[in-house]
Amino acid sequence: MNLILLQATVAELSNWDKFTEALLLMTIGMLTVFTVLLIIIALGTLLIKTVNKFFPEEVKPVAKAAAAVQAVDQNIQEAINKAIMAISGGKKQAQKIEKI
Amino acid sequence: MGEILNKIYDMTAIGAIVEDPRFLIMYALAFVLLYLGIKKEFEPLLLVPIAFGVLIANFPGGGMGVLGADGEGLVHYMKDGVMVAKNVYEMSLPEIAHDLGIMNLIYYALIKSGLLPPIIFMGVGALTDFGPMLRNLKLAIFGAGAQFGIFAVLLVASQFFTLQEAGSLAIIGGADGPTAIFTTLKLAPHLLAPIAIAAYSYMALVPVIIPLVVKLTCSKKELMINMKEQDKLYPSKTEFKNMRALKIIFPIAVTTIVAIIVPDAVSLVGMLMFGNLIKEIGANTSRLFETASNGIMNAATIFLGLSVGATMTVDAFLNWQTLGIVAGGFLAFGFSIFGGILLVKLMNLFSKKKINPLIGATGLSAVPMASRVANDIALKYDPKNHVLNYCMSSNVAGVIGSAVAAGILISFLG
Repeated sequence: MNLILLQATVAELSNWDKFTEALLLMTIGMLTVFTVLLIIIALGTLLIKTVNKFFPEEVKPVAKAAAAVQAVDQNIQEAINKAIMAISGGKKQAQKIEKI
Repeated sequence: MGEILNKIYDMTAIGAIVEDPRFLIMYALAFVLLYLGIKKEFEPLLLVPIAFGVLIANFPGGGMGVLGADGEGLVHYMKDGVMVAKNVYEMSLPEIAHDLGIMNLIYYALIKSGLLPPIIFMGVGALTDFGPMLRNLKLAIFGAGAQFGIFAVLLVASQFFTLQEAGSLAIIGGADGPTAIFTTLKLAPHLLAPIAIAAYSYMALVPVIIPLVVKLTCSKKELMINMKEQDKLYPSKTEFKNMRALKIIFPIAVTTIVAIIVPDAVSLVGMLMFGNLIKEIGANTSRLFETASNGIMNAATIFLGLSVGATMTVDAFLNWQTLGIVAGGFLAFGFSIFGGILLVKLMNLFSKKKINPLIGATGLSAVPMASRVANDIALKYDPKNHVLNYCMSSNVAGVIGSAVAAGILISFLG
């Protein structure tokens, strides 16, 4: 095969020989790069499906966590309200308390 | 008095510079590169060490220039007033440091040995997120289209250089400095200086070259293709139930596949994926990740930049072969961008879902600068058209693509 020439002393090759070798290398090179990336795309797709099927992420108990946060907020809200009522003599109350 | 003045004059580099004014060209070149790195902010992390390396290598008597070995490994230098020639590969490292100076020690121990390019790839991997590529997996194919410049210039350059030299020159089209250095060391080490400089300079000039090629080859209508709108019109059916697990398995799987198909690319792709793996594992390997992405990466960049710059001495750089490499490298770079754009245009002919050609233009390896530049171009035409994430897919694939192309060149020409 012509590629054997590539291993030989290329300095001795004529310009035409070098051109044909380069053309062959271009064909092989582009085909290989495309093949590798197509394989990576196929591999990625396969991995996505496999991971989705066998290793789906555990659903964290978000609702419970949110409820816990809410409970804390309520405690704080009550404490703030008690403080405001104590200062205002029971006349005023916080309507909305937000974390900044 | 006159004798003292003469001695002072001899002590300075002025006499040698007056004798050979070509040094002034090298200083001008160093200043231009420093200006581009500092003022224009073109890849300053790379360009500043390279430019400073060029500057300090070209002061006669400074001993900071890298001496290139000839085909037989011989370096010629003055020792005790006598010109000597020694085989650099038979010299011990302390001898290299003593006789040739510290810059040659850094060069022969870290660069010529081929150590730093894979080390830098490890750092690049640690800084790379394959998430955008996995989310837009099909766009990764443009990372192959944009390797066209490498092989197109190989074809042209084969008429002026040997095939090994042409291969080294052509790899500039991959837009990846470490890959260019790694390939050149294997194929044509005597051309390392101009090829490394051309590769890094063109990488730094990505903000100029991509807009130029895009302007010459794309219409306004094409550049206004809004990827998010296309996604809404033709939604993807792929869902991700565990992205973290996917990102951990992906580098391991890619390394295995590439190693089987192109073993010569493993030193680059393998290290890239190792760096990425220690990032994606998370807390358990966070110390390795931090070291790879900060300490090692930064130290490697400094040594690589300075010593590559120091290879640009007057004799090594100012010749016609270098000019040919600079011109050929530009063509390779331009053709690679065009190759990616052309592939997008071809796919748009046959697909209902249209793709913005900028995503093809970023199939280069220059991550993430190429994507940022493409995003800026898209925003100029449509302020709502953010293509960054889409471009990152082809851009990251381009790193793998150029490493595979390098592996092929080394495999057939090395």
